[in-house]
Amino acid sequence: MVSFWVLLLISLVAGFIGAMSGMGGGVVLIPALTLVGMDIKHAIAISIVSVIATSSGSASAYVRDHITNLKVGMFLEMFTILGALAGAAITIISSRRPLFLMFAFVLLGTWLALFLQSKEEWKPLAKVDRFSRWLELRGSYYDQAQQQQIVYEGGRAYFGGPLMFGAGLIAGLLGIGAGALKVLIHDLVMGLPPKVSTTTSNLIIGVTALAGTSVYLAAGYIDPGLAAPVILGVGAGAFIGTKVLVRLTNMAVRRFFLVVLLILGVEMLIRGIRG
Amino acid sequence: MNLKACFLEQKEGARDQQLQARMEMMVGYVLQAGVLISGLFLAAGLAWRFLATGHLGFDFTLRGMNLYEFLVHDVHAAFSGAARPRLLISLGILVLLITPYVRVLSSMVYFAVVERNCKYTLFTGFVFAVLTYSLFLR
Repeated sequence: MVSFWVLLLISLVAGFIGAMSGMGGGVVLIPALTLVGMDIKHAIAISIVSVIATSSGSASAYVRDHITNLKVGMFLEMFTILGALAGAAITIISSRRPLFLMFAFVLLGTWLALFLQSKEEWKPLAKVDRFSRWLELRGSYYDQAQQQQIVYEGGRAYFGGPLMFGAGLIAGLLGIGAGALKVLIHDLVMGLPPKVSTTTSNLIIGVTALAGTSVYLAAGYIDPGLAAPVILGVGAGAFIGTKVLVRLTNMAVRRFFLVVLLILGVEMLIRGIRG
Repeated sequence: MNLKACFLEQKEGARDQQLQARMEMMVGYVLQAGVLISGLFLAAGLAWRFLATGHLGFDFTLRGMNLYEFLVHDVHAAFSGAARPRLLISLGILVLLITPYVRVLSSMVYFAVVERNCKYTLFTGFVFAVLTYSLFLR
């Protein structure tokens, strides 16, 4: 049995790092919980409940800043929830070793994506297809840094939607928000500005995590006594993390997070291979 | 408004932007209220438990159950008056789970009644139906 204070501390740190890096708490939380002896399936189930809290908390602020695109979010949600249901169902019947390996794969993949991340300027899509136009995926927001109104329109929704099923699948499977993957789809496929894609992915994550949670709840993997300190810890950590984020430079945060990801990824890989 | 026009692409006007801004405020407040209420329940449950027993840790597992059974379980416990800190913890988790659910429901109603946007009423309706199915059926 993991002690209350250990749980709370791990969750605080995971929430803090998750918010600072923008990757969400689950990526750090699950490996840390398994390290102190929690079964990986229970760790995944508890993490996905805490994901609802952090994503809803931050989405509530972003939505009122009028940057989130509700229509993009509500269209893509249809795909992510189905993915999350399927993913969680797979985890429940899966054996444990593939879960460690998949988690390692996601961690190292995120590491690679962050490492290779280019600092390209956002450009609007040249042409928006008829289906996306019909979906009314346009929007605008005021950019504080550039001091101007940014007008954009999302495109290639016919491709972005099905891809989001995959993002939802990974979220449900591993108990994480999979925000990085969602942002990638928003950016690269649908041509949304970075701010819109991160905030909109945040909105989608809450509902996606709920779909996954329902499966874990029905299977009896959610332990309220353990979930309570984790939800509170991750929530508090994320809150502190967003406050600190303003003061730290981007570069320092990125370097720190790259190191954390690499260590956790390798650790999960070793545990997956050893069994 | 006839049905066909309702499904066509809607041109964005000043009215739409205003409607959208109002919807954003609504969604924001639903999410914030849910997270805060849930956090309060959880913190109160832990504090109560600590004051009553001197221990913070809880040790109880839910047998597999859906949201509805979870709710009934809680209400029963509330009336029997037993295990009160535990009840607060369960309520906190329940409120947390219901938060995105209520967000989807309220968006669906807003799209249907205020914006009169059939496409998005259907989209959010689909999400709502899937979540209802997964939360209440086994």
